[in-house]
Order: sequence, then C-alpha cells, then structure tokens
Amino acid sequence: MEKIESKNLDAQFKYDVAAHPGGENIKLCFACGTCTAGCPVSAVDPEFNPRKIIRQVLLGMRKEVLSSPVIWRCVQCYSCTVKCPQNVKFRNVTKALREMAVTEGYADADLLQEVEQLDEFSQKLRRDLVNALITDRDKFKKLKNKAEEITNA
Amino acid sequence: MPEGQGGIRKMIAPAKKKRSGTSEKTGAVLVIGGGIAGIQAALDLAELGQKVYLLESSPAIGGNMARLDKTFPTNDCSMCILSPKIVECGRHLNIETITWAQLEEVSGSAGNFQVKIRKRARYVDMEKCTGCGECAEVCPVTVASKFEAKIGDRKAIFRPYPQAYPNTFVIDKTGKSPCRVGCPAGININGYIALTAARKYEEALNIILETVPLPGVLGRVCDHPCELECHLGCGKEPVSICAIKRFLADYQRNNGQPKKTVKRHQQELAKVAIIGSGPAGLTAARELARKGYRPVIFEALSKPGGMLAWGIPDYRLPSDILEQEIQDVLDEGVELICNTTFGLDITLEQLRQQDFEAVILALGAQAGSKMGLEGEQLENVVDCIAFLREVNSGRKIEVGKHVTIIGGGNSAIDSARSALRLGAKQVTIVYRRSRTEMPAIPDEIETAEREGVKIFYLAAPERLSGKDGKVSSMECIRMKLGAPDESGRRRPVKIPGSEFTIETDMVIPAIGQKVILPDGDDLKGIEQTRWGTINTDPADTSTNLDGVFAIGDAVTGPQSVIKAIAQGRIAAQAIDCYLRGANFEPLVIPHREDITPEPPDAESFSRILPRQHQEELSVAESISSFDEVEHGLTQEQARTEAQRCLKCAVCSECMACVEACKAEAICQDQRDVIEQIDVGSIIVLPGFEEFLAGQKYDYGYSRYDDVVSSIQFERILSASGPFAGHVQRPSDGKTPKRIAFLQCVGSRDISCRNGYCSSVCCMYAIKEAVIAKEHLKDVDVTVFFMDMRAFGKDFDKYYERAKAEYGVKFIRARVSDINQKNGSDSLVVQYSPQSGCVAQDEFDLVVLSVGLEPMADSSALVKKLGVRLEPNGFIWSEPLNPLRTSKPGVFVGGAASGPKDIPETVTQASATASEASQLLADVRNTLTTKREFPPEIDVSNLPPRIGVFVCHCGINIGSVVDVPVTAEYAKSLPYVVYAEDNLYTCSQDAQDHIREMIAKYKLNRVVVASCSPRTHEPLFQQTLREAGLNPHLFEMANIRDQCSWVHMNQAEQATNKAKSLVRMAVAKVAPTEPLQTASLDVTPLALVIGGGLAGMTAALGIADQGFEVTLVERQKQLGGNLRNLRSTFAEPNVQAYLAHLQEHVQKHKNIAVYTGTELESIEGFVGNFQSTLKTDSKETKIEHGAIIVATGGNEHKPDEYLYGRDKRVVTQLELEDLLSRQEPLSGVNTAVFIQCVGSREEEHMYCSRVCCSTAINNALKIKELSPETEVYVLYRDIRTYGFNEQYFQTARDKGVIFVRYEADNKPKVTGRDKLKLTVREPLLDCELLLEPDLLVLSSRINPDSDNEKLAQLLKVPVNEDRFFLEAHVKLRPVEFATEGIFVAGLAHSPKSMPETIAQAKAAASKACIIISQDKFEGEAKIAKVDINRCSACGICTEVCAYKAVEVILVDERLGTKAAFVNPALCKGCGTCCAICRSGAIDVEGISNHQIDLMIKAI
Repeated sequence: MEKIESKNLDAQFKYDVAAHPGGENIKLCFACGTCTAGCPVSAVDPEFNPRKIIRQVLLGMRKEVLSSPVIWRCVQCYSCTVKCPQNVKFRNVTKALREMAVTEGYADADLLQEVEQLDEFSQKLRRDLVNALITDRDKFKKLKNKAEEITNA
Repeated sequence: MPEGQGGIRKMIAPAKKKRSGTSEKTGAVLVIGGGIAGIQAALDLAELGQKVYLLESSPAIGGNMARLDKTFPTNDCSMCILSPKIVECGRHLNIETITWAQLEEVSGSAGNFQVKIRKRARYVDMEKCTGCGECAEVCPVTVASKFEAKIGDRKAIFRPYPQAYPNTFVIDKTGKSPCRVGCPAGININGYIALTAARKYEEALNIILETVPLPGVLGRVCDHPCELECHLGCGKEPVSICAIKRFLADYQRNNGQPKKTVKRHQQELAKVAIIGSGPAGLTAARELARKGYRPVIFEALSKPGGMLAWGIPDYRLPSDILEQEIQDVLDEGVELICNTTFGLDITLEQLRQQDFEAVILALGAQAGSKMGLEGEQLENVVDCIAFLREVNSGRKIEVGKHVTIIGGGNSAIDSARSALRLGAKQVTIVYRRSRTEMPAIPDEIETAEREGVKIFYLAAPERLSGKDGKVSSMECIRMKLGAPDESGRRRPVKIPGSEFTIETDMVIPAIGQKVILPDGDDLKGIEQTRWGTINTDPADTSTNLDGVFAIGDAVTGPQSVIKAIAQGRIAAQAIDCYLRGANFEPLVIPHREDITPEPPDAESFSRILPRQHQEELSVAESISSFDEVEHGLTQEQARTEAQRCLKCAVCSECMACVEACKAEAICQDQRDVIEQIDVGSIIVLPGFEEFLAGQKYDYGYSRYDDVVSSIQFERILSASGPFAGHVQRPSDGKTPKRIAFLQCVGSRDISCRNGYCSSVCCMYAIKEAVIAKEHLKDVDVTVFFMDMRAFGKDFDKYYERAKAEYGVKFIRARVSDINQKNGSDSLVVQYSPQSGCVAQDEFDLVVLSVGLEPMADSSALVKKLGVRLEPNGFIWSEPLNPLRTSKPGVFVGGAASGPKDIPETVTQASATASEASQLLADVRNTLTTKREFPPEIDVSNLPPRIGVFVCHCGINIGSVVDVPVTAEYAKSLPYVVYAEDNLYTCSQDAQDHIREMIAKYKLNRVVVASCSPRTHEPLFQQTLREAGLNPHLFEMANIRDQCSWVHMNQAEQATNKAKSLVRMAVAKVAPTEPLQTASLDVTPLALVIGGGLAGMTAALGIADQGFEVTLVERQKQLGGNLRNLRSTFAEPNVQAYLAHLQEHVQKHKNIAVYTGTELESIEGFVGNFQSTLKTDSKETKIEHGAIIVATGGNEHKPDEYLYGRDKRVVTQLELEDLLSRQEPLSGVNTAVFIQCVGSREEEHMYCSRVCCSTAINNALKIKELSPETEVYVLYRDIRTYGFNEQYFQTARDKGVIFVRYEADNKPKVTGRDKLKLTVREPLLDCELLLEPDLLVLSSRINPDSDNEKLAQLLKVPVNEDRFFLEAHVKLRPVEFATEGIFVAGLAHSPKSMPETIAQAKAAASKACIIISQDKFEGEAKIAKVDINRCSACGICTEVCAYKAVEVILVDERLGTKAAFVNPALCKGCGTCCAICRSGAIDVEGISNHQIDLMIKAI
C-alpha cells in the first residue's frame, strides 16, 4: 500500500487554497462523496474524483494535486456545487487549484487558456453530434467514429 | 365525553387556600403540546399537586409517538407503551386536556400568567360523542390523513387514530368552498359533489333540492358561475359541476327513486300571489309553500315556465324535463293558474280582495328591444323573443335561407341554432364586440360554431334593405374596441369606411329584452328605474308598494336562471318576515371572505384527472331536429368527475353525519371560543415536524411514489397503518425486494439550512430496517449513511445486531441522486463508495430518513410566549439548564428545543415538571381537587345480586349482535337479578341510570358488556364507587372488539358468542370479593447516593421543592467527575460552575450532606426506607421515602497505544488538565486524537457518547492556543449529535483533519524519541504516517465499580455493561421497576453535563411525587400467599420484577418460613402465581378459581 508520510505533507496547502478565491469553503468538506456521485465527469472517468482531490488538499499533498492532470478535467457544470451539503463549491475549488497550478509553476498560463477554449470546443462538438443525431444518422456515425478514434488514440 | 368524568362530580374545595402574605402565585401549569412530553409533564405535575391544563392543537393527544410502529432499541410497539399513558393522562382528575385549541395570548409573569386559549369549533359535542365512529362511516369526504403521513386517508369527520384521547370526533372545516360562494343561490355544491363521489346520488340531489327547485333545468341551462370559482380552474379544468347536477336529476328521473318528502308546516298560513311562472316565481312559490304559506302563481301564457318554457329551445332544455320539474314544484303545495294576464284578467285590487296578503311580481322581460335601424319594420325582421316563443310553441314555422342574428347573448345563440334546425342554409351572427366580451355561455358559442353558425365579431348593422317589403340584405360596419364602458366591457367604436353588406332573407335582432308593465292603472305608482325595470330594495326585493315584491328579469333586466332563482329565495324569506311582522332576516349565504384559503391537499393537484365530457349528438344529427344535443354524464363519468373535486372546505356540510349520529352529538353551527385561564408557569413541549423531503429534488420524493419518507414507512410497517402492516410499494402494492434507506435527508445539510444533526434518524432507520426484515425475510435492505450515530444506551448493540443477525447492509456514502430507470419501475440510487468513484444500485423502495425541524408555527407561538429562538429555529434554552427558556417561569423540553429521542424527551418533560413545581412549591395543592365517594356498602355476607348492562354502542355492536336478546338472556343466568340494554352504556346519563338501578335492585355485582376494559373499566368502576360499591365488584365483557367487529357478517353466531362472553363475566364476578388497597405512611425525605453533578442537582431539585434531602458522597469532597473537567461546549468554566453548585448544596437548609460516607445497609420499601450510613466508623441511621442513585462513572484508563508507558500519550481528562497549565503546547507540532479507545468493542459494546464532542472541544482549544499545531482526529464515526454538529464543522474549518479508521484496522503506535503512528486513510487507500508530539486517547466511560454491590443492596438491576437498568428504556428513563428508587447521571449511561442535569431534575421530580404524598396507595389486585401451601422454595422472589416477594419466618416457634408479598410493591402482574409449583399464590380479583369458573362457563 502506498504510504504518505506527514513530513512530506504541506499543512499550509489547505489554508492556501482556502485563501484563494473559489477555495474558501474547502475545509468544510466532511467527505460524504455527494460531489463525486453526482459528477458527470466522474461517471465516465474514474480518475476524476472530486472527494479524493479535496482529501489530498486537506492532507497537504500540494505537489500531487497541482501537478495532476485531473484538476483540468472538470467541465465546470456546477453539479457538485448544487448537491454539496456543506457548500464546498468544488467547481470553484478547481478554478482555484488551476490558478494556483499556474502561479506555482506546475502548469503554464497557456494551458489554463487552452482548457477554457477546449470547453467551448467540446460544447460545439457536442452540439454538432446532437444535431447530426437528429438530422443525419450517417453523419453522426462518421463524426462519432472520428471522435472515438481520437480519444482512443 | 363519558370517559374521565363521573356521574356525580363531587369536587371538594381545595384543602389549602392561598395563604395570606406568602405569595400571589397560581398553583396551576399550562403544558403546551400533547405528545409524549406533554403527557409526561402533565402527569408529573398533577401528581406534584399542580392543576394542569394540557393544550394540544390537534384533535387528540399522543403526538408523533402515536404514529410510530415500533421503538428502538427494544422493538416495543409504540402504541402499546404509549396508550396507557394517554389513558392515565385523560382520566387524571387534575389534568384538563384541551385539544383542537391554540394559544392566543399570554400576559403576566412567572408565578402568575394569564393565558388566552382559542378552542376551535369541533362541531361535535364532546359531552355527547361516544366515539362510536358511525359519522365517519357515512362521511363522503375523504382527504389525505396527516396522521398517516398522507399515504392513508381519513374522513372530514375524524379522530386521528382509534386509541385517541379524547375519544371524540372532530369535523375538519376550513371555511366555505369557492364554488359554493360562487353560486348566487348559495347551493351547497361541495356537499352534493362529495355525495356523488360516494355514490350517494339520492342524498346528493336532496342537497340541491334543499336550496333550489328545478335541478334538471339548472343542470342544462345554468351559466354555472360556480365553475369559474373552482380552485381546479387554476391550472386544470374546473369540476363539471353543472353536468353533475344534471346527472343527479336525470338519475332520479330514470331510476324513479322516491323523492324526499319535505316537512311542511302543519298550519296553512296566508295566501301569496305570484305573477309569472318563470324560475324566479316558481322558486319563490316553492319556498313559500315550504314555509307553510299558500302560494298561487298567475301565468299569462298557456303553459308555465316563463323564459325556460318560451325562450329556450328543446334541444337545450327538453320540455318534458321542464314540465316535470314544474310539476314537482306544484306538488309541494303551489297552485298555478295559466292564461291569466296580470292587469287584464286579474288586478292588484282583486288580489287584495281575494285575501292575498302579499304579491310577488315575477313578470320577466318579455319584449325584444328595438335596434332603431332603417328597415327594421321590414317583413322577416323578427325579434328573438317572438322568434323563440314561436319555436317553443311547437308550431311549424318557416325561416329564411340566409338568417342573420344580431347580438351576442344566449338568446342570439339559441335563435341561431334554432334557425339551423328549422332549415336555414346559412346562419350568421353579427356581434359588435369580440369573443371575450360575448355574454353567451362559452360552450354554447363553441357548439353553435361547430354546428355551422358563422359569427362576425366586431361588426354592427347600419341599415336593412328590402325587396318587396321583405328584408334582403344588411349593411354592416366594422368596429374596434375603445375604452371600457360602465359595464366594464370595452366600448365598440365604428371604423369609418369599413362598411360591408350581408345578403340575408331573415334578420333576428337579439340585442336585449325589455320589461313591459301592464297597461292601465294597476301598477300605477310603482317605482321604476331609468331602464324601465321595477325598482326594488335589493336586500329584500320589496317595492315601494306595501306588500308588493318584485324579482327576476323584471327587476334586473335579462339575467341568468340561477340569479332569478336566488331572488325567488330572497323574496320568500322577505315575505315570511313581512307577514310575521318581523324585521327582515337575510338568508345565510356564504360570502367571499368565507372562502377557504387553499385546498387541503395541494400536493395531489398534479395527479388530478382531466375533466369528463358528456356525449353529444353529432352535428348532422343535431341540426336535423330539436332533440337534446347533450346526453349527460354517465354514472361512472359523474363519479369520476366528482372525485376530481379538491374538497376545498374539507367538510362539505352534507349533513350525513347529523343523520347518522344516534347520540345527536353533531353541532354544525359551533363557533370558536376564547377562554382565559390563570397559571403559575408555562411548559412548552410542542415537539417537532418532519423535514419535507420534497425540498431535496434530487431524491425524487413526490416525483416517485416509491420514494417515501421515514414516517411514511413507519405507517407502512404499522399494523394500524394504511396497508395493515403489509410492507408494500405505494405505487403498485407489490412487495419490495430491495429497500434503501438514505440518511441525513434534511439534516447536516446547510443547503437546506439544517446544519444540525437530527440525532434520532440513524436509530430509527436501523429500527425500520430491522422491522422490514422481520416482515419480509428475504428483503434486501441497505442503509446509506455518513456517520452512524448510535450514541444512546444499548444503541450500538442494536446496530451490530442489525448487521450480524438481520443482515442489514450499511454503505458509508451520501447519495447524490435517485432516478427511475426508463421503462422500469425500479429506482436507481447513485453514490460514491469509500474507495471508488461512482456506483449505482437498484431498489424497489427508497426510504428517506428525514430530519426533525421546529414546529411550523413555533415562531408564532414563541412570539406569543415572549421567549427566543436559537439559530436553527428551535426554542432557545440555557446551555446548562436545557429546561429554562429566556423567560422566567416558561420552561421548554423535548424536540421543541432541539432534536432528541423519546427517553430524553420524557426525561426533560419530567425535569420541566420539577422546575415548575419548584417555582410553585408554596402553592402546591391549592387548585387541585379530589373525588369524594360515599362509604362502601358491606356486601360480604350477602348473596350475589348481579346487574348486567349490555351496550349497543350505537350500531357498532347493535347492528351485528342482537343486544336486546343478549340482555334478555343475561336475566336467565345465576344471581342475575337485573339486565337491560343501552344505546351507549358509557354515556353520562347511562352512569346515572346504572347508579339508580344499583340502588333500586340492591345490586352488589355489576357486569357491563360493551367494549374494551382498557379504556372503559375505570369509568364504570367509578360509577360503582359513586353508588357505594367496591369498584372491584365489577366485570366487563368485550362484545365489541372481540365479537361484533370480528364477526361482522355472522350475526347469529356473534349473538351466541356475546351470550357466552356475558355468561363468563357473570360466572367470574359472582364469587368476587371487595378488594382494598394498602395505604401506607410516607417519610417525606429523599436519599441521594452520589455527590457529583447528578446527585447535587437532584438534591437541589428536591430541596427547592420544599423537601428534605440527605446527600451521601463516598469521597471527601463533593463534585465527582466535575472536578476533572475544565470546559465543555455548554459551560466554558466548569470549575466555577462546580464551586457555585457546591456552595449552593452545602448552604441549603433542606440538604444534609454526608461526605466521606458510604451506604452501609438499606431496608424497607417505597415511602418507608431505613438506611445506615457509615462515615469513618460512625454510623448514622436515617429514614426516607425515596432514593436517587447518582453514583456516576469514570474515565477508563487504557492499556493500548503506549498509554502509561509514554508520557506523551494522555487521556482526554488528562489533556484538559494539561491545557489549563502554562504554555501547555510548546513543542507540540502535531497532536493526534484517537477516538473510541475501549468503546464500541466486544466486552464494551457501547458508545461513550461524549468523547467526540470532548475531543472536538479540546482540538479547538489546541487550535486556539496554538494555531500552528496540526491536529488529527482519528475516528470511527463522528457522533456530534444535535447542535454539537456545528462544532464539528468549526473544527474542520479551523483546519482539524479527521481521518476515519476501521475497528478491525486500528492505528498503530510505536516510538522512542519520536512517536510514530500509522493509520489507513480510506479515501486515498493508503497508509498515513504521523509523528505526534501529543497523542490523546478518547477513552471510554466506565460505570462505577461499586454499581453491582449497590444494585444488590437496592435490589435493582444493572445491564450487561454494569450501568443501572431503568424500568423502561423509552418511557420510564429515570425510574426503576422497584417503586421509590430512581437513577440519574453516568450511573444510568454516559451522558453530557446538560443531559445529566436534565435527568437529575427528572429524578428529583419523580422522588418528590413519592414524598409529597401523605399516603402511598398500593394496587388492589395483588398477589396473596396461602402460607399453608407455601413450601418457601423462594422461586417467586427471583421472578418478581418489583422485588415485592420475600421469604420470611412465619412461625418463630416452629421455624416455618413462607413467601410474603409486600402490598406496597406488588403490581399484580401474576408472574409469581404462574411459577409457584405448589399453587400457593393467587392474584386477588383474578384468582385461579375465577378463571376456572369462566372457562367452565364457555
């Protein structure tokens, strides 16, 4: 089993996140898992686990969290935020984490921008797929196959 | 109300009057809330000598506990343990139960409050109602029952549950329904709708006929303004009220049901002439006939009916229907003279000469208005009145090919549709405004259009042109709508240049009707309006001519039928008053302000079916004849339609109950009453409300039928619930195979503003899961939870049993969503498992464990009381004295001040009684009363003379069992000298009668054959005492519950069984002897064992009530565990509190403190204990009446986690000590707490309850003293129940890290220079390595090591954890089964300071109940030993739960021993009799011999 040693933990990390706009309520989390259970990303991507990310923050795993690709996978849908019984606002937490990752050099500013553009792009892709599904089944299959080709690659 | 009050109520004057100069206090207490808390507080206070008013807003006491199926952790039936308390409370002479009532106003201050109470109208006379339930049987209105959490129904007349006290019904009336208010005649519409829904068509029709005649006519032609008012109209189509009325009239006609004969006055009164036989005249005539007058209608035309006959064509109102309904009116005593024109054939003068004392002019508006157009005089221009009269004459008439009608009223439509039927090729209506303004009935307009009528809106005729004197075309102009005119409709304005022409060969103007008064002098001098109508006083329809009244279209101009009818009713009323020489008394017609605010069951709105439509002729069929177009609703349709009704006013005032009630208890015209009472103190115990689960949308409650709330599931489980205890899905009645429970719905959730923990849901969910498993062996039950909060006494054992024995699954996860899978009826629950991402499980039924919320109206209540709320909306109480509100003299307890379970609620209730009793100690027994009975007649040497009273119970028994035959049969039984049958044997007059019969026939034994002795035996026993008989010379035979109810369809056998039951009762009662109770003196002093928080608080509680206390403490100092505590959430400075408490105790004049003293021995029993106290070597003997055990507990010294071997490892108490020192945390970078050290493990399977809160309090203290220190709390479940949840949240917010560990994988601690701790972090699934500088162990609370020794001394039990075991874990939390001994504090189980204080006060209350009595009365039916048969084996002493039996020396000379039953302690349970091998013990009054006789009598 993996080991986490307290001497490698950064106790300050949770306070830093809480001090960052968006991260204010992170410490209120009591790890019920509602965010994860209702998350559309988690539903398709078991690596994306909001409860786990919060846990890592609270324990002080600064490097692991800020350098992790998963914090970039949130689609910012607010599902976690509306369902949270402790008002943690995980969607905003990811925003804070992303910005901290940039400031602290775990990611560059371009990445932040590109992910935001990507969100727009993936919404467009979704729109096209839905439209194709309704109007032109063949086109839909083609588009979907192509998209799957890319994701599987 | 027969129960609770005797026939003769001899109240003797209070023993003590208010003593002069002492105080002005009032020796009475108002208890608000009739749940278990209110019941307990009321009982305690009444026993403590205070008069109690118990106020309850619902119709019966019992509260939420009455709704529960079972209770945890013993699985006792909730109702079974509650109902004896309810009965006791209801019958207590000094408790006045005021139900269905609200607090209005409070003034005054502690010791002297004035309270105003609103007693809501019950509409049932409580003195007369016997609770037989016949009314509810016949009531047609069914609404969702709040008691059944809306998965079951009740009637508008109801009692919440069968065991309710008071056992009387109440009518739920919330105002008047809007339809009824919308009806100009005020017909009781919801009444007949409700009866129609219940298939009571005849009764329904009678409701209509009570108010108006002509139901079949109205059902066809009424413009039904009622339907516009229908609440269903907002969002759905209104109930088809008019069509239902027509159905009822048609149903009667087609089925030839006998019409209800109307009671008429015996004497015929004056003659009244009515001119005109339209609906107004007919109604007035009928009403006058009903009042006893002789009405005569004069009609100018050849047949009666006015516009109904001559204005409405047959396809809408067939003439045979009208004729028959007019005949119905005439049959009520109305004379009709046709072909008599007023003013021509008969004059006003002639009428007066013919002895008519009043005249009603109901002349109608019989002339068509002129348009004033060029060409109006042309041939084939016929006004609509003349045209329709021709149509209705039955003569064959010619119409043109292109017929044009001008106007937009009903006459226009009628003319148009008639013209079609007469062969017109094209029919056009020209109307100058738009469709919205059109006055005709919208349905009629639609039908006309369907039939092919063309309507030109916003067009008006300009002139008519003709050819050969006949009309040939009509020039029209387009209009637009301008500003509204005085009628409120927008005025049409011509658009210049928009003229157009319609080719037409017949024009029918239908632009209005005029009133034509008779020519000549006849009505000369009658006032007219500027429109030519008769001017009347609208209130009473009188004209300016004496004795002349006017109604109908002649007064109002053309109006609807129902309005004409409404006026007819007023005229009849006015004439009645006029002829009696009385002032006009207006008819009682509901007004707009009476409308009920909203329908009772708004949630069901979405499920209401669409409106039913009647079948119609096809258009082709319609226009080819004058046959009726609409066919009316079928019976099924009418019922379905009636069932759509929202029952806005709940009670429909159909009066079915009035007829059904044999006791004549229904009083529909009751009003609310406001009463003032004076009290010295107010105790607020209104309880809680459950969280409305619909607020959590994601959980699907109210979207999916099979997502239910926990209280609904409680009712599903309950044998008395809507499914009779069969666990099934509400949607389809199927048995669920998989059930899920979701915890924390509306709790620990700040998104719905409830951040607190509701404390009880974990346990009730486990209980419901276990009971579900007991009901359905194979059901799969899963509980989704976050922290399992089984913190109470024996709760963890229950939790473990649920897992191990019942196989209930527990998943630690909060569910995010519940969805129904497409095409399947199972519910998908989505959650995130501990190590994993997203998971889904399917279930058939989901139970939402809803939290507890403050009462919805608590803020209003609080305002009236002047107390304040805490932030969550519960009533604020002092942190360390949870019974005190912010206002002196007003106390609070139970769930009103925060979520809590039943034992804690009951404890607090008793504690509030102690508080109030303390406040009112010097006015004790000033307002209470005692019953006085005549001296008992000595019957010992007389042969039995038995009287038997057999009850019909209305028709409850009488409709099945032949009661008179049974009574007659009883006369033939041995020793029976008198027998009779009664309608209600329990009624007040029956008690008087029984006493008379006892005296008259010298009866010395009585048998009542009726219902259950559990509810009614005390009442009859009291009657016996009032008649001078010993109450035990009585026996009941339950021929209702055990006979008529269970053999409903076997009348003959039931009668035979009733005879057998009576025979058995007679056999048993014959040899019965009078029984007396033991009456013993009481020593008014209490002994408190233990001088800690519980002991000191209890001692003060007793001493402040004015009684002496001896307080014994083993240690040299008072204080107990308190001496080691520094701060808690409730009290930041425990030592200061202790010092204050200690001083108070030591200085109290009523308390004798013995420190360094042990209890050496104890003898005696309740009221009469003798104890020996040993201080060093000195012995003190004391006598006392009661004992409180408050011996406390202690913190366990652990031997794990290096405790005792490493000084960095400390317990919580040691940490508190450390934290109180200088610089306690220097060098502590990491502090780690380990929870549940020694708790919740085999051997010690209990939660120590306070450790989570203590740890969090201390963690916060560390963060406060040294914010840099990292604090980890390693836990199994965080159990910060109730409002302590907020501190858990604060701790997280301050940065305390909580890491959960499993019981089978505990943290491991090693260390030399550095402590090293390893624990598995479950969410990351990894090992966490910590290096604590301070390791704090939350060690369990142990019971005192001497508990077992003391238990033996007191003969009271301890549980397997060696805590003292109370008499009943739910309802007797501070008492032992052995009378006179009580328990409080840690001796009972681990608890917090406020909880200990409440329990100590409750124990004080109980002890005072004993020592405040002059005499202690034992039970009458107790065990008695036959010493000749007793072998002194002693088995009886072992089985007695009350420790009432002991083996004593009975003959010193011979040394013979035998068992002895202490009459003060025996409860007559009979266990000793059952176990006695030599048959030496019998319970008096239920002896083996008597049982034998009963069996032989079968």
